Amino acid sequence: MSNSATISPKLWAGGRSPFNVSYGKLMMWVFLLSDAFTFSSLLVGYGAIRFSYSGSSTPWPDPSAIFNHFPGFHGFYLPLLFVSLMTFILIGSSVTMVLAVEAGHRKSKAEVSKYMILTIIGGAAFLGCQAWEWSQFIHEGGRLDTNNFGITAQGYTHLHEAGKFGNHFEWMAGDRQPGPVPFASLFFIVTGFHGFHVLSGVIINIIIWLNVIRGTYERRGHYEMVEKVGLYWHFVDLVWVFVFTFYYLI
Amino acid sequence: MSNEHHHAAEGEYIPETYIPHPETHGTKTLWKVFFILLFITIIDFAIYFIAPAGLGRNIVFVALGLVKAVLIVGIFMHLNYEAKFLRWMIALPAAVFISYLAWLLLLEGSFVSTY
Repeated sequence: MSNSATISPKLWAGGRSPFNVSYGKLMMWVFLLSDAFTFSSLLVGYGAIRFSYSGSSTPWPDPSAIFNHFPGFHGFYLPLLFVSLMTFILIGSSVTMVLAVEAGHRKSKAEVSKYMILTIIGGAAFLGCQAWEWSQFIHEGGRLDTNNFGITAQGYTHLHEAGKFGNHFEWMAGDRQPGPVPFASLFFIVTGFHGFHVLSGVIINIIIWLNVIRGTYERRGHYEMVEKVGLYWHFVDLVWVFVFTFYYLI
Repeated sequence: MSNEHHHAAEGEYIPETYIPHPETHGTKTLWKVFFILLFITIIDFAIYFIAPAGLGRNIVFVALGLVKAVLIVGIFMHLNYEAKFLRWMIALPAAVFISYLAWLLLLEGSFVSTY
């Protein structure tokens, strides 16, 4: 068994798992790979459409001209602040999820339960933030088929002069005109598709947590279901990393 | 070969119900990764306001995003500790096909803008 040359042929000869994982976990990985392709198609599609607007008479809007609000600070220019808070929330819920998985390896039911509750709270908080972000954008006129954030040359001059971080900022007449519609529709589609993944993740987490406190996995002898839902939850965090990069940073 | 599953006879391998014995690596690495992810996000935030917008800044943002992705998949999703075949089965198709798709479609998008 110590010689790798003798192990390699036996790995695929049957009688053992070549990947050394359970069937369910392997299938979760395959599902996540396919989901990665789905999300990459959406994000690459966003990139292609955005590139196609370079040099256009209605240029792609600068994200900081649109997503610069923070709850409780109405009228202040705070780009990237709220979405960074959302990122912190999701990273935080990711670490509590992985701590639940680790506690599951030690078969510590109380700890798994505690960390799963924290993960569910984090996921719900993220969804609340996203609902606020959407309602803010819709309130300002963003629709699936309408985008009134075509920032004019005058608008950008105004933004660069008055839009200092933490300053009071309001658009003036002539700053905005109808802009590229795909900006708004892709924002709703991509963040909506991600948000739907978060929502289903929270629901699955609640189901698994109920099983934990009912002792289902204790009787089963292992907490592998927590690992599998953990994989899904981290994937949602992974997608957010790229949504954050391509929608808000670039 | 020890079998962890309770319904299977000793030494018998049943693909549908096989569960490998879980190994714990402790929580120290997990917290470290958490703080690195937090730190990179703060760096992103700082660069956004310090550096002027442009291609160079975008490359830095994508590179930092990829670092975050590697940490999440490798440590949080435990892929670094999985069998070699599983690691490559997941990482290689994702890396190859997604970068190929991005290359093709961004090229196409640039062409459309000149058309």
